[in-house]
Amino acid sequence: MSQPTVTMQPPVHGRAAGYFAGIRDVVVLELKQRLRSRGWYIMLAIWFILTGLVTWLTWASWSAQREAQRAYGGFGPAETAGPGSMIFEVVLAFVLLFALLVAPALSANAVNGDRAGGTLAILQVTLLRPGQILWGKFLAAWFAALAFLVASTPFLVIGVALGGMTPGHVVVALLMLAVEVGVVCAIGVGISALANRPLFSIVVTYLAVAGLVFGSLISFGLGTGLSQGTIMANQSQYRGYSPYEPLQEQPMPMEPEYTCSGPLVAQPAVHTERVAWMLAMNPYVVVADAIPYPVRATTNFGSPQGAIESISQAARYAMAGPEGTHPCANGEAKPRYLAQETPLWPLGLGLQLLLAGLLLWLGWRSLRTPAHRLARGTRIA
Amino acid sequence: MTANQDGTDVTAEPEQHDDGGITATAVSRSFGQVHAVELMDFHAPAGKVTALIGPNGAGKTTLLLMLASLLAPVSGTITVGGLDPQHHRAQVRSRIGWMPDTLGVWESLTAREILTQMARFYQLPKDGIAQRVTEMLDRVRLTDLADQPARVLSRGQQQRLSLARALIHDPSVLLLDEPASGLDPGSRVELRVMLRQLAVEGKAVVVSSHVLSELDEIADAAVFVNRGRTVRHQTTDEAAAAGRRYAITAADTKALAAKLTELGLTFRIEDGRRPAISLLLLNDDDAARLLRDLVLAGVVVTSFAPASGALEETYMNLEGERR
Repeated sequence: MSQPTVTMQPPVHGRAAGYFAGIRDVVVLELKQRLRSRGWYIMLAIWFILTGLVTWLTWASWSAQREAQRAYGGFGPAETAGPGSMIFEVVLAFVLLFALLVAPALSANAVNGDRAGGTLAILQVTLLRPGQILWGKFLAAWFAALAFLVASTPFLVIGVALGGMTPGHVVVALLMLAVEVGVVCAIGVGISALANRPLFSIVVTYLAVAGLVFGSLISFGLGTGLSQGTIMANQSQYRGYSPYEPLQEQPMPMEPEYTCSGPLVAQPAVHTERVAWMLAMNPYVVVADAIPYPVRATTNFGSPQGAIESISQAARYAMAGPEGTHPCANGEAKPRYLAQETPLWPLGLGLQLLLAGLLLWLGWRSLRTPAHRLARGTRIA
Repeated sequence: MTANQDGTDVTAEPEQHDDGGITATAVSRSFGQVHAVELMDFHAPAGKVTALIGPNGAGKTTLLLMLASLLAPVSGTITVGGLDPQHHRAQVRSRIGWMPDTLGVWESLTAREILTQMARFYQLPKDGIAQRVTEMLDRVRLTDLADQPARVLSRGQQQRLSLARALIHDPSVLLLDEPASGLDPGSRVELRVMLRQLAVEGKAVVVSSHVLSELDEIADAAVFVNRGRTVRHQTTDEAAAAGRRYAITAADTKALAAKLTELGLTFRIEDGRRPAISLLLLNDDDAARLLRDLVLAGVVVTSFAPASGALEETYMNLEGERR
């Protein structure tokens, strides 16, 4: 080659270091643009005010309820915990809801918005690799969405400060919220690389989020209807239980309060474990299931305390299926409610990551240059 | 290796060109049913400005996208300084500067930030970036606006920024898609001077356009494309040698027509706002001789000038063939 013109050679680092440096450069480019748009700050301010409002309303309504109970002469359950648990749960649910609503808006036009503006090809023609562009766009969208979580942290901390919760709860909750937001951002960026028009990809991403939140519930519900089956079980006999005797003042034992006897007979049962993976993909289930709660020795007649616990236990119950929950399945006495200890969230999160990864991979394929195939109607620049 | 730089036989053997220029040999690209580019040949040698000329939809942009290594040709080969973009992606890209027809500016970033980012994306040595950016801003006369967000720049300024962006990594091949569109006459002259300068520096400059009058001044050669095919490859000198059309107006058009008939020249009467006569002349000597004859014959000539650029003449002839 007789080409002396190109003298500027890239400094030789490790290949991985160079790859990450490229990603960082794309993130810097993206974040600079995002941080300079006023809309982002307005959304952040609205977010902060709304979360604060919800926190305050939850606290106010809890106080009012307690006042009313006092006025009626101290009926109702004894106050064991402050409002912390409730505020924490309401704020958490609210933050997750709004994070799921905000993340698509921040991510789902990342690639095709640039394509429409003519700036994507500018990146593609440089030494950047398609993976660097995609990772950079994903990380930038994620960081922008994480700012919203940071803005809501004070209110989650309030939940802890008002009692009943440990800092560990906040840490785990924020971590899981961050991961869920990341999953939605990855889905959004992947779809935006595949779809032609920003409007279309944003709508599709919202539909994907709706699919995860509501679709998972609906498909689980419909799926259980198709999961009828039988299970081998024998008769359960409850000790000391008789409807005509007054309830004894006995502590509820953790161990099963019944014995199993008799021959194993096929009994109808719904095999929820076959469709529980759909339920597991629900972001609320993933977050709720990941947050630790104590396995209490006593419960109020088996009713869980708080929404997080209920969601988690219900999901784990479905995952265990009749094999694990039907009384005397296979002739074994099963532990009662609140004792399903197999976590479900790794499965759900794994499936979500699989979906997000698949979309990102497809998006990466569409960003490769020189491009061989282009989607119908796409102009590369 | 000594490269053939005089550009006389540029279409003869494209495989032989490794003079730092860019060559496409029999490239094709279709989008679904549409054959945007079919068996196109193209060569732009180093140190020359090569014009890519054709009507809208002729496949100019598609060819440039393939040359810029953004699109892969379905068949045919592209070499940049002897390298294939498919296999030597990084080397090829560091040699190519591409200025798209859509401006594509990051609006909230300043001109300086945009150029800095691009320098990073091209992996220029970090300690030299700031200086290189300042140099480029100076070159496109954007130093005063360097720290303004790009959205406040005028179209011409954004165009210059886009040019600086394409030049930031000192490429040896410069691909410009409609660089003059939307520019005022002053900026066009400026662009012309700059492109000539870049060619003198030894870069292969490719300019696509359908505004032909200015290409006469800057292009050393032109590749005419139409309907996805290379129709003609011609140097500007060849185009000039093929003759160009002159427009003549006279106080008395009838007298002028009579004199031209007497001289045995074929001409046609143009239906312009003012009655004019146009005819094809081979070269400047012919034109001078005709003007002298007319004046000596007492025809009151009020204007006598080339009606079109040399390239425009070829282009219009191609258009004529197409119909």
